[in-house]
Amino acid sequence: MPPRIQTQRVSNSVLPYLSSTSSTPASSCTSLPPSSTSCPHRTFSSTSAAQTRLRSHMFEWLNSEGRKLRYHEPNVYKYVTNLRDLAKDTVPPEQLSKRPFPLNQNFVSEPILSEEMREEIYKRVAQDKKSVRAVSIELKVDMRRVAAVVRLMEMEKGWRTQGKPLALPYSRAIQEMVPTTRYSPDPRNQRPHESINDLPVHRLTDPQIFYPVSESRQFTRVDAGRVFSGAPRLPNSTVDEITNDPSSSISRATQNPHLIERVGKGDQETQVLQPADARIPHPYLVAHERDSIKKPHERGENIKRFSSRLQEEERAEAERRQAAEERREKKTAKVNPEDSRFEFRFTDVVVSKETTGADGRGHRAPGRRYGVPSYERKKGEVKIPTRVNV
Amino acid sequence: MRNRATTPLSRAKIRQSWSKYNLYNLQRFRNPSTNNRTFFQQKWTAKSSARAYHGEQVPETQWERMFSRRIRSVVPMDATRLAQDDGSIASSGRGSGIMSPWEMERAKKEKLTPFTQMTFAPLERRLDTAIFRALFASSTRQARQFVVHGAVTVNGKEMRYPGYLLNPGDMFQVDPERVMFATGAPKSKAERREGRIARQKTETPEEGEESVAEEEKEGKEKQKPEAEAQPEDTRETLKGLMAQAKTIMSKEKSDLPAKKKQELRGFQKAIKRVLSRSESSTILNDNLESQFSELMTLLKATRLEKKDNKGKNTESQPAAESSDPVAETEAPDSRPGQALTEAFQKATENPAEEVDTSELTESELDTLKRALIQMRDNPIDSTKPYATPWRPRDYMSVFAFIPRYLEVNQNICAAVYLRHPVARPGFSEVPSPFSESINTGAFAWYLRRR
Repeated sequence: MPPRIQTQRVSNSVLPYLSSTSSTPASSCTSLPPSSTSCPHRTFSSTSAAQTRLRSHMFEWLNSEGRKLRYHEPNVYKYVTNLRDLAKDTVPPEQLSKRPFPLNQNFVSEPILSEEMREEIYKRVAQDKKSVRAVSIELKVDMRRVAAVVRLMEMEKGWRTQGKPLALPYSRAIQEMVPTTRYSPDPRNQRPHESINDLPVHRLTDPQIFYPVSESRQFTRVDAGRVFSGAPRLPNSTVDEITNDPSSSISRATQNPHLIERVGKGDQETQVLQPADARIPHPYLVAHERDSIKKPHERGENIKRFSSRLQEEERAEAERRQAAEERREKKTAKVNPEDSRFEFRFTDVVVSKETTGADGRGHRAPGRRYGVPSYERKKGEVKIPTRVNV
Repeated sequence: MRNRATTPLSRAKIRQSWSKYNLYNLQRFRNPSTNNRTFFQQKWTAKSSARAYHGEQVPETQWERMFSRRIRSVVPMDATRLAQDDGSIASSGRGSGIMSPWEMERAKKEKLTPFTQMTFAPLERRLDTAIFRALFASSTRQARQFVVHGAVTVNGKEMRYPGYLLNPGDMFQVDPERVMFATGAPKSKAERREGRIARQKTETPEEGEESVAEEEKEGKEKQKPEAEAQPEDTRETLKGLMAQAKTIMSKEKSDLPAKKKQELRGFQKAIKRVLSRSESSTILNDNLESQFSELMTLLKATRLEKKDNKGKNTESQPAAESSDPVAETEAPDSRPGQALTEAFQKATENPAEEVDTSELTESELDTLKRALIQMRDNPIDSTKPYATPWRPRDYMSVFAFIPRYLEVNQNICAAVYLRHPVARPGFSEVPSPFSESINTGAFAWYLRRR
């Protein structure tokens, strides 16, 4: 029987200390190993060899193709998706892809607000005393984001006056790595940061409903909302009213949400689903567009009407907030003892039909009630804080 | 909690981490083959690879309870289209709407909402994940450690639970030093040694002070001859400084961090050397404006435009004392720009003995100023746990993106969780490295028995 010559693969697994790139694997295997003590320990271990090969591949890649990704360059998106473009060096940085993950087509690295944009938002809200709604429309930034920027800038200013150390080099590096939305003093050149009129998809619109309607009937979004929430058809007089002046009916709903018609009984009682015009964050923009379609020559008048509608909306919102605050104040009893730093606030617990429900078993109401188990030890109960009040 | 989140190279798993192992795995990851595999097997593979990335620190039962089949989505509304149509166009005809050909085209182009890409959206509410998404930590595990070690506050109160689910409007803030450590390049061996020596010096303050005092004495002795030879070497020093400042501020690709750092060190030393000639003893700890103006006076540098201005003022009294650095340092800090211009005017008014004072253009002055600012913001400090001056760690830009549901202020390392992540036509807000096929498989896996 001729002596068997081991293949490269076998020799690798048998002699893990030999790398796959070694030039003479067979000879070193057949000849006596230089250090006879080290060989017997490793003979039967094959895992480390595979690991070493993979590691060498990895470092090979990191030193060749991956080299381009190592250091950041300002305003060049060094995502894995751009590996080939970066290697070619011919693609201008603006045309590089903003997708960080090559397999996920649906996720893009979206721009963040630049420093001067944040400053501008803070200036308009905190110094010029403009409303968050108005600033949101002017700069095309979401209302929640505007409020957050003001809050964060307020904190930053506080830190600067206190002389706390800031992470300035880190901030600069991030602004260079991530796409940013720049502020332009000319409002016509201002690039929108994000879409400000996002309509959340409502739970009631999930099912597909087959609803027969006569061809002659004008079936609008208002009617569709009523069908989705199972409300009866509107009387003709109301329909005419809405068709004649859609903007005022929408503003009535957005400014007085408690007046919206309700359907259903007991626990199932809900508001009638409103049309998209009323559920978007900036409904007055639609009214403005309607005005400019109807009266294209009265541009100044239209803008005046728009600002009055905006103010009306803000006023209604402020009133609502104040009323809620007053209601809360009414419920809490405040005790401020002398020579104490603290003010104690007490709110009475309520065990009524609203909290216990119709059958008296609802677990929102506090206290032990006969036949109502405590959910304290139930699996999956959340025991860590669920909210932190500001 | 033991870290089971290894990044094996043999069975590539993608993790929420910025390590180079993870980068290598990310770039070579491919969709698993579906040939000859049962639907169950496909779902299993999809779920296991997706879960290795999404919330691997969360136990499976806990995640199963968090999973929700209802996925939040929004539709961006165009105000003009809403105004043009009250909905009756969409329901006209036989109920399917009457559309013009170009509208049909547009409807075809409209992208579908990638609902299943949002499978792991509930995990994005977790505090540790949000910290990682805001680029405050280099991995979710590290973010988790920051929370547990008490470096994170939520709405101004310390929060020690990494599993805290953020509510819309919650503001979380991480200690900036930790963020700089997590995102900065690590120290080299020599830098670690420097830090050790600095620590030892602070531990034995007496010896350190003595040595410093000795150094100072030596320095003063050295400076005396320097000061005598000052008129000759000011121009040379200024030239050298300018060259160094330019290299520091250059954004060329070829400049390696090590080279830049060398330059920065040299620049810092040169500035110190120049400033130590000043009569004011506090100048080294002074604010930037006064340092800058001091530098200008010491080096007799002037602006190019002020040339004729200088000519006019030659008749005025030769008041060398007017450019006293102490007077300048006392200038109000509230108006730095004004202070600077005043300092320059003083410097120009000061009748120069030599006509050949070094002249700098506006851009050169600007470069010098910016180099000084950068040195102040990003100083060399061996006591920090990261390499100084701070620079981003290797391969950081590969993973740098901030999702829309967060608003981050990097200066104070704070962020606001604006809302829950949503899907919109063509886009999902959950950062996931996987394709729709994997996330759909995972979604189907968790849908069972529900």
